Amino acid sequence: MSTLCPPPSPAVAKTEIALSGESPLLAATFAYWDNILGPRVRHIWAPKTEQVLLSDGEITFLANHTLNGEILRNAESGAIDVKFFVLSEKGVIIVSLIFDGNWNGDRSTYGLSIILPQTELSFYLPLHRVCVDRLTHIIRKGRIWMHKERQESVQKIVLEGTERMEDQGQSIIPMLTGEVIPVMELLSSMKSHSVPEEIDIADTVLNDDDIGDSCHEGFLLNAISSHLQTCGCSVVVGSSAEKVNKDSTGSFVLPFRQVMYAPYPTTHIDVDVNTVKQMPPCHEHIYNQRRYMRSELTAFWRATSEEDMAQDTIIYTDESFTPDLNIFQDVLHRDTLVKAFLDQVFHLKPGLSLRSTFLAQFLLVLHRKALTLIKYIEDDTQKGKKPFKSLRNLKIDLDLTAEGDLNIIMALAEKIKPGLHSFIFGRPFYTSVQERDVLMTF
Amino acid sequence: MISAPDVVAFTKEDEYEEEPYNEPALPEEYSVPLFPFASQGANPWSKLSGAKFSRDFILISEFSEQVGPQPLLTIPNDTKVFGTFDLNYFSLRIMSVDYQASFVGHPPGSAYPKLNFVEDSKVVLGDSKEGAFAYVHHLTLYDLEARGFVRPFCMAYISADQHKIMQQFQELSAEFSKASECLKTGNRKAFAGELEKKLKDLDYTRTVLHTETEIQKKANDKGFYSSQAIEKANELASVEKSIIEHQDLLKQIRSYPHRKSKGSDLCSGEMEQTSDQADQVSSTSNPDESAETDLYTCRPAYTPKLIKAKSTKCFDKKLKTLEELCDTEYFTQTLAQLSHIEHMFRGDLCYLLTSQIDRALLKQQHITNFLFEDFVEVDDRVVEKQENVSSKPSEDQLPSRSLGECPIPKVLISVGSYKSSVESVLIKMEQELGDEEYKDAEVAELNSFDPQENLDYLDMDMKGSVSSGESIEVLGTEKSTSVLSKSDSQASLTVPLSPQVIRSKAVSHRTISEDSIEVLSTCPSEALIPDDFKASYPSAINEEESYAGDNEGAIHFQASTSPPELGETEEGSLENTPSQIDSSCCIGQESDGQLGPFSPPAHTHYDEDGVVSSPPQSYRQKDQGFHVDFTVENASPSSRDNSCEGFPAYELDPNHLLASRDVSKTSLDNYSDTTSYVSSVASTSSDRIPSSAHPSCSSSERHKKRAGQNALKFIRQYPFAHPAIYSLLSGRTLVVLGEDEAIVRKLVTALSIFVPNYGRYAKPVKHWVSSPLHILDFQKWKLIGLQRVASPASAGTLHALSRYSRYTSILDLDNKTLRCPLYRGTLVPRLADHRTQIKRGSTYYLHVQSMLTQLCAKAFLYTFCHHLQLPAHDKETEELRASRQASFLKLDLGLVNEDARVVQYLAELLKLHYLQESPGTGHPMLRFDYVPSFLYKI
Repeated sequence: MSTLCPPPSPAVAKTEIALSGESPLLAATFAYWDNILGPRVRHIWAPKTEQVLLSDGEITFLANHTLNGEILRNAESGAIDVKFFVLSEKGVIIVSLIFDGNWNGDRSTYGLSIILPQTELSFYLPLHRVCVDRLTHIIRKGRIWMHKERQESVQKIVLEGTERMEDQGQSIIPMLTGEVIPVMELLSSMKSHSVPEEIDIADTVLNDDDIGDSCHEGFLLNAISSHLQTCGCSVVVGSSAEKVNKDSTGSFVLPFRQVMYAPYPTTHIDVDVNTVKQMPPCHEHIYNQRRYMRSELTAFWRATSEEDMAQDTIIYTDESFTPDLNIFQDVLHRDTLVKAFLDQVFHLKPGLSLRSTFLAQFLLVLHRKALTLIKYIEDDTQKGKKPFKSLRNLKIDLDLTAEGDLNIIMALAEKIKPGLHSFIFGRPFYTSVQERDVLMTF
Repeated sequence: MISAPDVVAFTKEDEYEEEPYNEPALPEEYSVPLFPFASQGANPWSKLSGAKFSRDFILISEFSEQVGPQPLLTIPNDTKVFGTFDLNYFSLRIMSVDYQASFVGHPPGSAYPKLNFVEDSKVVLGDSKEGAFAYVHHLTLYDLEARGFVRPFCMAYISADQHKIMQQFQELSAEFSKASECLKTGNRKAFAGELEKKLKDLDYTRTVLHTETEIQKKANDKGFYSSQAIEKANELASVEKSIIEHQDLLKQIRSYPHRKSKGSDLCSGEMEQTSDQADQVSSTSNPDESAETDLYTCRPAYTPKLIKAKSTKCFDKKLKTLEELCDTEYFTQTLAQLSHIEHMFRGDLCYLLTSQIDRALLKQQHITNFLFEDFVEVDDRVVEKQENVSSKPSEDQLPSRSLGECPIPKVLISVGSYKSSVESVLIKMEQELGDEEYKDAEVAELNSFDPQENLDYLDMDMKGSVSSGESIEVLGTEKSTSVLSKSDSQASLTVPLSPQVIRSKAVSHRTISEDSIEVLSTCPSEALIPDDFKASYPSAINEEESYAGDNEGAIHFQASTSPPELGETEEGSLENTPSQIDSSCCIGQESDGQLGPFSPPAHTHYDEDGVVSSPPQSYRQKDQGFHVDFTVENASPSSRDNSCEGFPAYELDPNHLLASRDVSKTSLDNYSDTTSYVSSVASTSSDRIPSSAHPSCSSSERHKKRAGQNALKFIRQYPFAHPAIYSLLSGRTLVVLGEDEAIVRKLVTALSIFVPNYGRYAKPVKHWVSSPLHILDFQKWKLIGLQRVASPASAGTLHALSRYSRYTSILDLDNKTLRCPLYRGTLVPRLADHRTQIKRGSTYYLHVQSMLTQLCAKAFLYTFCHHLQLPAHDKETEELRASRQASFLKLDLGLVNEDARVVQYLAELLKLHYLQESPGTGHPMLRFDYVPSFLYKI
């Protein structure tokens, strides 16, 4: 391993990335455990900024320490562990994903990390799961990359009879660069475009005198209902929002991959033409997501050349490819909860806190129903020991007979108890999906 | 945007999923499992069972300079909790992640060792193989004898659920920071003390050395120094240097940046305390030191000893324990804090998350959350609310109650929903029990709840149901026009409460009986009330006693209030009274005199059959005066005269009915019941005295669980559960009658989850009464457990109960009957479906809670809906508005039949609560429902 590494020098290779907006990220690093020298930093990615908040030396120091104690690592093969640091003394937070890899014949421990200022802690924590999911997927690719590179290396040695060690251990960086950039962009866009934590009801359609003031009643109902059914995740499209403007061909372009990678399904709301479309429920979304990921990894695995694997090239070779975005479907299930809320809330006088209170009551009802539902399933299945079979009873007992109501409460429950959908619906769906190849519609 | 990575998976035509292919398929180790729970037995709960420890715990570890990382203690200190989990290994793991650069050294440019006050670092890490994840809080303590003067420690919260730690990161961080600050504060104090001692030792050593040197000097006449003298001199110099170094360290520890010490709320009190102590015993050589430095002064009772100038590191010495490092007091407090943390984060993440969301959302609902929320929580929230209100007043917020905003008491009486008084009459009275008594009563109930009690009553064989029974007709609807005219001309009486009246309250509270009420019921008109009486009459009750089937005289009570300045002519002038309109709430606007339903009693409208049709009026605590409005019909003039004339004013006060007891007995033989009177005296004793209370936080959850379980059994086994629950929800007192106290208590506890609260204190539930009930009991309690005694004395109890049976619902546990009004709504069946598959009491409790929250939302909407509560136009009649309201309840809220009454009752409570000056101290209404009752049998 040590022969493959660059000399121990503070001058670690660094890639500066130009981002359009403000970046909450200070740096991303890739480090490994050298069996002789201990933790070493392999590469640094940092946003291109005028003001250097963290010097390369400091980044290296921090990144080295992400592997502290990993000599004691005790994990299953293939496991990817997450470490999270809040270092007040340094004023930073670090998210590190630690994994074992087999690179150039040596099995070692690696760490892919991102570093943010501590002031961004509140901003980051809600995004932790998304970040970890994205970084995890990068690592999956990285491990495939390492495996393939080792194979090629062996082939070259056999064919050419020479060892070109100096060539090895370098080429993973461009691949990682291609993956790290979207993560940086994601955090950057979340920083600049995320929904504010506290929303003044006066800025919403709920402040209107009447439900019909701003939008069509059915549209608002559909939008809110579907938004709740997709665990509170929506993409709102409108001509005034720059980020989702029409592209040159005149068709809307969605951040398809991000939508697929998202932990929850998404609702697509077009405020220009008043349409609402939604992705399938959680369990189906997770299933689709995993199939998508597996396909992506398989394609990556089968790529025969570095050019195939470097994804940038795909853009040029397959520009005409436009996936069919039929993952978004019409909202099929009507609910009574949102409908009753919308029917009632406009009876209250706007401009006061009455509607806010009523909204809070509505949300409280949803949360309490979700908790009741979780508890109901927990009781019925003895905490997952038995399969859940009595969905019909649940609907009657918890007053969720309307399919839309059940979807909303299930979606909320999924957020509180991740995996609930897959646990309840996972297996049956597997059968149905075998019959209809949903993803062929892409 | 769609980019290459988006479509890379689809660029090959022939594969979407792994298919036969020339190249080897992707090995599973590089792939991602298709299902989240692909492995055997995996499910959303299974991650909690993979670890070797049974539940979350806290571990304190140290990186010992002698033995390396080692576990010190766990919280809870129970080996069963961490089981076979290897604490040594895990300590090694968590302590190896050390970012702390805290050391004491000689930095460039500094002559002396420098203390670094490093901030704590926080790390989340795990051992995925062991299924153990931890929030680790690293801190450094100072120890004069330790290498570099520092001792690295960490406190770790260990859980099997990594998501829990990440999702609760900020909360964990905040709580552990408190514990850490506590340790560090104690440590600085102890370290300073240690330094002081060391300085005294050094000082003493220097003196000794100096003396010895001097002696040697004097003894030395050779003109040169002996090697011994040189050695002594070196030693002295070394001591001098050591003194300077230690003084510098002491100065450093005393000058600990104040900003850092501010972080700990937990220790602030302690710091002040110790500062005080330090002031008293201060032995510091520098009196100019700030108060902060006083903390570090040590106690004076220390005898210095001779020490070696240079301490040699000895590795066999015993290092100080954590307790010694931090001062026992601080150490104990830290352990308490850690126990608190362990308790706080115990359990499944989903419950933690939901309770946090719950709290956040309930904060926004101070208007409604008193109804069904746990009163302890509500209490906390009220405190928070008060803080919020005082700190940032906002136009957008619902205005707080103030006299100015709600100046007209009619508002309080504006129970417009009770359009027809034929069916219900409200009587507002002074609240008899103080808040503390409420609390005590509730706590007593909690404590008396014996989990071991069997559920005999639930095992009773209950088959079939007879839902129809005798119907009691509405009585007292015959009104004579002459009485009506008298009533119309009746003036309101408004007087401030006199001190004398207040003094006599206690007496009346103890002994009031329904007999006295009957005295009042015979005072039908102004002609019968001398002005003198009016002047001190604080409330009014009009009761038309018509029990026992006499067709004469339903008695109508109306109590209303008015501000002190309102006189008898107030009613006429009310319309002109400028009222400040509550901008957020239509109630304030209703207070405007023009609003029909809330008009004063002078405008009392009678139906054709002669009953009062204006809404019952209620009472407002802050108002010092009262309107008295008697509209008693069919009482004989002679009896009225007898009963009213010559009564001192206070006797007409329902709160002072004891004084009128004898009179009532003599004057109202036709109506009163001496047996019940005798019994009423007995009722003053045991059941009013709260039993010893031991508040227990943990009992709350258990209580909910058992209440839910018993409620579930009740609805499954009693076919008439629905009307019983309807009674509770609609404010009609339900009396649970039975011989066995345990059984009655259990059922009362179970049913109490359906009882709306008046305020933020205990629910209006009386779990066990063994003496006859009287009218004030119905004012205070909406659910009562009543003892049936098989003795002659008990006849009074039953008789008293039968007297009020028209106004209450009676659930007879022994005979398995229920007597209450008919219920035909759809709300209760959804709330209490006997076919429900809900298995556990706690789950059923959650279900009830969510359904009641929905109900609260409806009541809130109904109460604060401007266009509903205000007249559509100036000339809109009450009837029109009432019909609008009824239509709203039916069409917009989907409430059918009796369900509307439930929402109306809750709305009424909301109005009262909203308008009360101090929420929670309000007065329950005594409401009589003149609706037919049915007898249900199993």
